Amino acid sequence: MSLERPRPDQSYVTDDGVDYDAIEELLGEHVLGRETHINAEGFVIRPDEVQEVLFALRDQAGFDHLSVVTAQEYGDRYESIYHLKKYDDPTQELSVVVPTSKDNPVSQTAEPVYRTADWHEREAYDLVGIEYEGHPDPRRILLPETWQGHPLSLDYDQDRPQIVTLTEHANPIADDHYESESDTMFLNIGPHHPATHGVLHLKAVLDGEQVVDVDPDIGYLHRCEEQMAQQGTYRHQIMPYPDRWDYAPGGLMNEWGYARAAEDLADIEVPEYAQVIRTLGAELCRICSHMLALGTFCLDIYGDFTAIFMYAMRDREKVQSLLEDLTGSRMMFNYLRLGGVAWDLPEPREEFFEKTRDFLDDLPEATQEYHDLITSNEIFQIRTIDTGVLEPEVAKQYGATGPVARASGIDYDLRRDDPYGYYPELDWDVATDDGCDNYARLLVRMQEVEQSAKIIEQCIDVLESWPEEDREIQSNVPRTLRPEADTEIYRAVEAAKGELGIYIRADGTDKPARFKIRSPCFSNLHTLPEMSEGEYIADLIASLGSLDIILGEVDR
Amino acid sequence: MVGFLPLQDVVLPDRIAELTGLGQFGVLGDFIAAFLAAFIIANLMLAMSGVAGPWAKRKITAAFTDRIAVNRIGPFGLLIIPASSVQLLAKELIIPEGVDRPAYDLAPLVIASSAMLGFAVIPMGNGIHLADPETGLVLVFAIASIASLGLATAGYASNNKYSMLGGLRAVAQNIAYEIPLIVTAASVVIFAGTLQMSEIVAAQAQPLVTVAGISIPSWYAFVNPFAFVLFMAANMAEVGRNPFDVPEAPTEIVAGYQTEYSSVYFVLIYLGEFLHIFLGAAIVTTIFLGGPAGPVLPGIVWFIIKIWAIFLFTQWARSALPRVRIDQLIEIGWKGMLVLSFANLVLTAIIVGVFIA
Repeated sequence: MSLERPRPDQSYVTDDGVDYDAIEELLGEHVLGRETHINAEGFVIRPDEVQEVLFALRDQAGFDHLSVVTAQEYGDRYESIYHLKKYDDPTQELSVVVPTSKDNPVSQTAEPVYRTADWHEREAYDLVGIEYEGHPDPRRILLPETWQGHPLSLDYDQDRPQIVTLTEHANPIADDHYESESDTMFLNIGPHHPATHGVLHLKAVLDGEQVVDVDPDIGYLHRCEEQMAQQGTYRHQIMPYPDRWDYAPGGLMNEWGYARAAEDLADIEVPEYAQVIRTLGAELCRICSHMLALGTFCLDIYGDFTAIFMYAMRDREKVQSLLEDLTGSRMMFNYLRLGGVAWDLPEPREEFFEKTRDFLDDLPEATQEYHDLITSNEIFQIRTIDTGVLEPEVAKQYGATGPVARASGIDYDLRRDDPYGYYPELDWDVATDDGCDNYARLLVRMQEVEQSAKIIEQCIDVLESWPEEDREIQSNVPRTLRPEADTEIYRAVEAAKGELGIYIRADGTDKPARFKIRSPCFSNLHTLPEMSEGEYIADLIASLGSLDIILGEVDR
Repeated sequence: MVGFLPLQDVVLPDRIAELTGLGQFGVLGDFIAAFLAAFIIANLMLAMSGVAGPWAKRKITAAFTDRIAVNRIGPFGLLIIPASSVQLLAKELIIPEGVDRPAYDLAPLVIASSAMLGFAVIPMGNGIHLADPETGLVLVFAIASIASLGLATAGYASNNKYSMLGGLRAVAQNIAYEIPLIVTAASVVIFAGTLQMSEIVAAQAQPLVTVAGISIPSWYAFVNPFAFVLFMAANMAEVGRNPFDVPEAPTEIVAGYQTEYSSVYFVLIYLGEFLHIFLGAAIVTTIFLGGPAGPVLPGIVWFIIKIWAIFLFTQWARSALPRVRIDQLIEIGWKGMLVLSFANLVLTAIIVGVFIA
């Protein structure tokens, strides 16, 4: 660990993981009951004791990472589930289940314990309708303020047209924060702006060129992905959706996120050969995604279509054509299947291997070119070093993961810490940096590209020497999956942007009763105000670029 | 002052008057001759910056960034020039509500015409030189600065916060960089002992050193390379190109002062920017690169080659260099360039005073 801090009490940990009985003892009479989820034990607590319990779990048992808050409605109650983890060891998980009554769905907010709960609870209120008492900012987050009803609640009528007239909308220009005494200026950055990487709206208050306050307004790309997944069958109908979350493309990594959760839920084995192909594909996607992140981040610093952006695109293009050979698609792959992958490597295999090796051989030269052009450029350094600083403790509070967390010195990578796929068999390193700034985030991504290349190289070797008769790409999976009712699981993979988690609750049918996506970009974007307040508007744009958000994943 | 024989003591209007016989019609004839001369020069510059410039810019940037750029219409995509012109002029001119009307309309004109005006005092070789006042150098800087007025007006009149920020940035940048620019130019004046453009050019004609039979002329870029580098850097800020394209900064403030301009007004601003780059290049050429001087080819050809070389340099910087932040830009201007330019001035004065005089 690159991060020094007092280790939490080890008495809540046994050799097998979390000592749930000791934790029950710690929480004492707060615990109303226990539930067993596939990934972790769930402790049921009273809605007015949320903070007390979470404080105890955070400070005494060391659960410093609130992955996500899942809200859902049952026939008789509402429920918020706080999925807790440890940055040190993400296999140590714990769920805090907070049921609230139907007629008074009010639960205490967890925001004072974990800052990230702010946005997650706003989303829970927005989509499901649970209210959080003491929440500092109880607004809707994805849907417009004028929206009627909560779409994921049981009695929501989807066919009723929403009457959201323009005049009912708050006019962004009218509320100008203008006071005759004040020197500040309110500025709408986006939703249409060259540097918002999609449709993001930043409500910024400027003092001259300096940012006093910035409030990201998201939801412009909300496509009800959770609900669509809830309407699809496990076996085939959900898999195409993950490609539409992080379309940078992080497609295969997202698909793996769903596949991992569903496979663990339905107890499906994946053949090792398929795992190698998945690993190969996921790392190709990661390179693609990081190249785009690098190119667009530089776009924010350089302006216009400059050399570095085009170079990054040029090299990304090579990976795209590899992915196209492998999956038949450049963006919306739909390549993974529960229990394996859709098809084997393209024939002739030698050609694919050679093409991949050619790319890997050229990559060091390309990265060197990037270093010559950007990271060693002094103007680039004065622009990025010590701007957009995100301290590790702050990053943890906001649930930052992925390159954003690793550039703040948090050594957290699910590929290593919560192993899946073929990663444990391979030789590679987790890239971290203690810089905490925009520059460090860029460096971490560039190192990760190199590490991914290393993984791909080994995968290619493994695949090449794999005996022809053992090339099993798919295990036996029933045509219709009906996981047992009331089984719940939260599983995450390391996507390009960080921890991509899926929560599924089964109800005995062939469709999930609740499908919740933990988007890494959502949590990472939440750190933006922390990074950019007090800095210049140019640094706000650079910090936003360095977070590498994909709005399709933020809004889902 | 060093004794020399002026290369062109006859400016273009006089020459036209002489050739066409307009001279005998008195003031009116002079006026027509001057008008014709201005017409020729303006069209030459417009052809370069307004017509060839955008096409060349596309091709140059594409070469820097591994692309092909325009190649569909005509040879090398050259017919994109008329196609783009028609397209740009045919677009609807959108004038947003609440703009400050006369100012909003005047700004593009000021930006384009101020840059155009500067070419009047530039000696382009082969007698293509509209006017040669004794204060030519001061005049050209004064004219070039008027563009800042246009930028500030455009930013203010647009009734848009991004435009406002862009306009303010443009003013801050121009103040920060014009002083070093002019102080550096003053060091050339110390060498040349004159502000007259033709004489500054003439002063650079003598050979500096002769190496193996090739004589290197005493261009001020060779005599005082430090001043040359300073001037080039300040010039980049003056014309607002990377790393100093802060007033436009597309990813930060959309398009700065030109955010709200469309159609013909946008063309005028765009043209003004190109003219400004070429004017900056022409000033550099005149005071540092010996103006139109060069072997074998006629002066005007050399002049065009030199300004295109500097244009190429700005495009290279644009493709390869990041943009500095506004506060860093001001800091570089006031704390770095200003000090260096004064140091250069004092040093030049001492050298010239002690060794040459």
